[in-house]
Amino acid sequence: MDKKNRKSRRVLGILIMALPVALFVLSLNVGSYSIPAGDMGKTLLSLVVPSLRQDVPQVHRDIVLHIRLPRLLLALAAGASLAVSGAALQALFRNPLVNEYILGLSSGSAFGAALSLVFLGRSFPPQPAAFVFAMVAVMAVLLIAGRPESGLVSLLLTGVIVSAFFSALLMLVEFFASPYALQSLFYWLMGNLALAGWRDLALALPLMAAGLTLLILLRWRMNVLSMSDEEARAAGADVRREKWLVILAATLVTAAATSVAGIIGWLGLIVPHLVRMAVGADNRIVIPLSAALGASFLLAADTVTRSLTSIEIPVGIFTSLIGIPIFLALLKKSKKVWL
Amino acid sequence: MIAALCLCLQLLALPYAPKEGATTIRDSLGRTVAVPERVRRVLSLQPEVTRIIVALGAGPSLVGRDDFLARFDHLFPLIHPAQAGLPVVSAADGFPKLEVVLRLDPDLIIASPSEAGLPDLLQKKTGKPVLAFSSMGRFEDLLREILWVGAALGRAERAGTLARFLREKLEAVRRRTEDIPAERRPAVYVSFWGSFTRSPVGYEPVAAAAGRNLADGLLPSRLGSVAVEVSLERILAWDPEILLLHGNYLPGERTVNVAGVLSDPRLRSVRAVKDCRVYYTFGFWHWWDPALALVETIMLAKLFHPERFQDVDVVREGNEVFRVFYGMEGGFDALRRKLEIPDGPWR
Repeated sequence: MDKKNRKSRRVLGILIMALPVALFVLSLNVGSYSIPAGDMGKTLLSLVVPSLRQDVPQVHRDIVLHIRLPRLLLALAAGASLAVSGAALQALFRNPLVNEYILGLSSGSAFGAALSLVFLGRSFPPQPAAFVFAMVAVMAVLLIAGRPESGLVSLLLTGVIVSAFFSALLMLVEFFASPYALQSLFYWLMGNLALAGWRDLALALPLMAAGLTLLILLRWRMNVLSMSDEEARAAGADVRREKWLVILAATLVTAAATSVAGIIGWLGLIVPHLVRMAVGADNRIVIPLSAALGASFLLAADTVTRSLTSIEIPVGIFTSLIGIPIFLALLKKSKKVWL
Repeated sequence: MIAALCLCLQLLALPYAPKEGATTIRDSLGRTVAVPERVRRVLSLQPEVTRIIVALGAGPSLVGRDDFLARFDHLFPLIHPAQAGLPVVSAADGFPKLEVVLRLDPDLIIASPSEAGLPDLLQKKTGKPVLAFSSMGRFEDLLREILWVGAALGRAERAGTLARFLREKLEAVRRRTEDIPAERRPAVYVSFWGSFTRSPVGYEPVAAAAGRNLADGLLPSRLGSVAVEVSLERILAWDPEILLLHGNYLPGERTVNVAGVLSDPRLRSVRAVKDCRVYYTFGFWHWWDPALALVETIMLAKLFHPERFQDVDVVREGNEVFRVFYGMEGGFDALRRKLEIPDGPWR
């Protein structure tokens, strides 16, 4: 029975890992502008074989190269980043309710974007300010709370307080904003991938890739760090250094994702739980599978929102609307919270 | 205890009691409000109405202004220079500072109908008559609004003159273009509110100028003109012949500009970009300026169908509209220079 269980988990794990690739191919063929499947292949080839370009309409190349590819890559990277960040912090804080925004990151980045949109001039992109203030908020939490191994509860509480502080600052900025700046800000706050371009991804993608690589490499240590500090030390872990590393890497990927995609909620809470329900709580498996499932979840949600209607619905709304009922249904079915 | 507190607060709220000789006005929300026969002091929290008040020649009766007009409206200081001395009482459409309102002691307050409950609450709190008006971006409602505000301020005759002028000008554009078949009306994409992918649904100046606004129909028309976000792919699939960009921003504040759109690699296969038919327009600026909405329609008509408007000098027409509405010479030209709107085929 146990052997059968292990086998089915392995199969499930392989399916989850393969899911982003399958969804990527599917999503590349979906959009408001219809490109026949045969033409899509030719268009993709023409991106690497210049001699084929004359056979492919310019509009097909522009849509694939400048609209769909950056958007799909951002969905994959941001989905993976938010899910892995949530999984890592849940393991670290030994708390299933922790999410990727718990250390004040979302309110910090929202405040940064608001400052940029409202005061720094409308032609200045909000992404750099969102990233900087996300990092500032988390650094403020870490500095105020002190050493991460000494009091995880105090770290979480400080996160709540710093979040509240930046939320108040955000409201202050909103109060002084013009209605037109507010519209841009609200749309950004709802989270969307619609305007992703290569320029936006040039900085964010390497940061997400670096942070994700670090977190995936540290996944072995997360099992140790999720024990008590004494047990972790007995197992040979440098608790302080490793916790700092995990927190910084999780902050880096979340801040990079949020700066280009806006605030996409619930992904870091729901996806790791779904993975744990499916394959258990071993972080060596949970972390890479969270990356794959998070990437797939955001990619699928974005594909649905951009193809359902002519109107662009922010994907952040959709991830919450769809993710929460799925999560609740599975939670009720499994009747337990994994960690 | 909470109930008792609520009761006390209710009793403390100033009830609005109409005085004798009041005129009854019906507003955009269908509320019937008794307004004093002579309104000497008026407070408008709705920028569109404030501009209409100035057009009606009642600018000197304004006792305050909203924050949008004070900080972001580039036309209002031109049409009503005295506005600089008026106190700011609220954000546009927002709830005003009650103590300032009571200190200013207006005979009439005009608010926006889009903020649910605000007019009734304001009337209850201040004891002043509060009307709610907005065109919601429709010409018929704009005409009605001008007449309603005129009636409320005892300037029905002037309001009638303005409404007639506006209607005649629109009718003149319609007569010149009415026989143009649908397939010869250009497909137009309008980018508004600081985002290339945000577009107004039900945008009447485009239709009145015999163009086809591609975002029309994405939402029910009963909502008036509202903004929707559309995807870049959708814009490419529409393949508009003309791209219009919101030009009400000062050049330094524009997120979306003509040069940026023309050089965006994602848009290079769009007909309008290939043919360099990307232009600034005016449109909403916290709802309409009635004069500017009319000039915009004339400008777009010449842009869409230059062969039918060869004899029309848009700048001269624009200045004429501003003279009729605001009594100022060269008003449209002054705004055009301030916003650095370049000449185009509409000229």
